Amino acid sequence: MLTLTPAHVTFAGQVWPDVAAISVDRRATREVVEWSDAGPHVAFADCPEQRIDITVTMHLTGRAHFDAPRPGQGGDLAFFPAPGGSDGGRIRISTQAVVLGIAHDLAGKKGALRTIRLIAVSPNGALDPISIDQV
Amino acid sequence: MSSFKSLDLFGSGPHRFSVGKRGELAVPAYVLGGSGSGSTILGPIELDVIITGRLIASTEANLWALRDAAAAQAGHPPSPGTLIDNHGRIWTSMTFLTYQEQDRTDRGRTVSIHYKATFRRLA
Repeated sequence: MLTLTPAHVTFAGQVWPDVAAISVDRRATREVVEWSDAGPHVAFADCPEQRIDITVTMHLTGRAHFDAPRPGQGGDLAFFPAPGGSDGGRIRISTQAVVLGIAHDLAGKKGALRTIRLIAVSPNGALDPISIDQV
Repeated sequence: MSSFKSLDLFGSGPHRFSVGKRGELAVPAYVLGGSGSGSTILGPIELDVIITGRLIASTEANLWALRDAAAAQAGHPPSPGTLIDNHGRIWTSMTFLTYQEQDRTDRGRTVSIHYKATFRRLA
């Protein structure tokens, strides 16, 4: 999932301004793949351990920024994809997330970029951490 | 379909058969009180048939039913039976010796666990 210029991004109660993009990437960290005695092809596959990585890229404006989140900080991450100008049928995406890292890039043409890596956390290990709600 | 004593213990998921080491059981002579580097032949190695596979269920309770059914056949006292593999190969007088599961239950789209079951034709 990739959202460009999402509207009103919040994390742990704070508004994150000037967000350029949020990507939500899913992958299996443990794959179960089994073959049988019947032939050469996979007979069973499952992904019993997965992770959802979230990357938030934001433009930095102004001269000083001391407000970056810190690794290990947790909270609710929420944003609106804002597909068009209308408020009809808006979608809100939210998840519990923990910050894994923050990096800054000064090489961009539009000024500095801050990239925040987070990991989504399920409330109980079974429910999908990502909620998509019509608001 | 494989079976042990006509029971379909492992059919919930893919599983594979292998046969253990065959030949003579040779023990170093010094183990038996002798000296030197020679070996003493004790007789033919007992036949082992090993099944590795995965039990698969839709719920935790259903998986436990499969696990308990397999473990029950490996219980005490040993009770030999006929083992048949997925292609109809038959081994008679096999004892379900051990049933060993992997360290974790895998909970994804299904609930499953990997196992190793060892059968032996006891001398």
